[in-house]
Amino acid sequence: MFKLFREIGKAGDATVGYPFEPLDLPDGFRGKPEHNEKLCIVCGACAIACPANAITMELDDEQAYQTWDISYGRCIFCGRCQEVCPVFAIKLTKDFELAVLNKADLSESCAYETAKCKRCGKPYAVAKEVEYARKVLTSVGGPAAADVEMLDLCLACRRKADALTFQEQARPKGGAR
Amino acid sequence: MRENDFPERLQWRPDPITLDEKVAEAKKKLLESIKRSVYVYRVDCGGCNGCEIEIFSTITAVFDAERFGIKVVPSPRHADVLLYTGAMTRSMREPAIRAYNAAPDPKIVMSYGACGCTGGIFHDNYCVWGGTDPILPVDVYVPGCPPSPPATIYGFATALGILDQKLHASHHVAPADEQVMLPFPMIPYKVRTAFEREARRMSGYYYGKQIVDEFMLALMKDRTDALGAADRLISEETDTRKRAVFMDLKALLMSKVVQE
Repeated sequence: MFKLFREIGKAGDATVGYPFEPLDLPDGFRGKPEHNEKLCIVCGACAIACPANAITMELDDEQAYQTWDISYGRCIFCGRCQEVCPVFAIKLTKDFELAVLNKADLSESCAYETAKCKRCGKPYAVAKEVEYARKVLTSVGGPAAADVEMLDLCLACRRKADALTFQEQARPKGGAR
Repeated sequence: MRENDFPERLQWRPDPITLDEKVAEAKKKLLESIKRSVYVYRVDCGGCNGCEIEIFSTITAVFDAERFGIKVVPSPRHADVLLYTGAMTRSMREPAIRAYNAAPDPKIVMSYGACGCTGGIFHDNYCVWGGTDPILPVDVYVPGCPPSPPATIYGFATALGILDQKLHASHHVAPADEQVMLPFPMIPYKVRTAFEREARRMSGYYYGKQIVDEFMLALMKDRTDALGAADRLISEETDTRKRAVFMDLKALLMSKVVQE
């Protein structure tokens, strides 16, 4: 009998003291994804990768703002967003205390301004993303960097500019008329 | 779920059960002065059983929800808390309502897991009504896929009004002309993408990215001797699998070195 009690004493207490003291979480614990709004370039990689469509991107009616939105209620904490993010703007934290009384509290969003085309004035991409693309192209150099000024144009204007350049090049050879 | 290409008037919607005032008041009173154990009945409305496993690990010795008097009971007639797990499938709507009606008033309804909260990955499935809330009045949402046992305990504490919720809705508008720096500006962009591809090929996406980031950070720190930094990283690494990836990345780095 005494031996039994001694064994029990030796085994110790298996129960964690969680609600009263903080819990030790292992490295690589996948908790609440934390969005760093300053670092985000709104490229949409996370929204495309998200298997549960928890991360969504929406353009408002005036096309002035692109809104990045996450619903923690739908998130399955897979970490795909962290993995695809090119600028470390989203990271899974160890925060697991997510229970809420109101469903609206499960969503978090941030709106980003769109850039307008220099030629036609139509919004075409998020300004931050365009700036980032400019930096990447300049750092790569070579033929890619030659097209940097085309970044300020929308897709339609870029196509038009491309077509015009092609026409100019083809004319002396007797191609396009 | 809502069909987008089908006329609204031809689509049937389940009517959500609403609380009448008396019951709502009784519930408030119960939460203010609950001085006894809380009995929990769980209803699986069409989940994958991941949530059930987490509920059972919550009541095992390690997390031991029973030390707070939270006990899982086998009948809704004994229950104070109804725990709805899984997306609400069409065929489980009736049994879910039956369980709700069988539980004595006042009762607390909890949506458990990503599927219970919003429908989760099944949110646009044809045979799913979404989460628990289109059918029943839900008091607490516990997100997670599945929620870990401590998250479950926190959910119970929130439901009983012991702990306050931490998460709040937020909407920000980013200030204009905010700039983002290129990560790892010292490493040429094309070399960086080559590293990332190789690391992901070697050890999968999630961990590959972590390993390649560690490698590139080590290269960035030593501005004079990148190969020496890579060597140090390899010799200091104790995990042989990780070391293999580092060595592979170093070989890739060697292949990119141009002799002048």
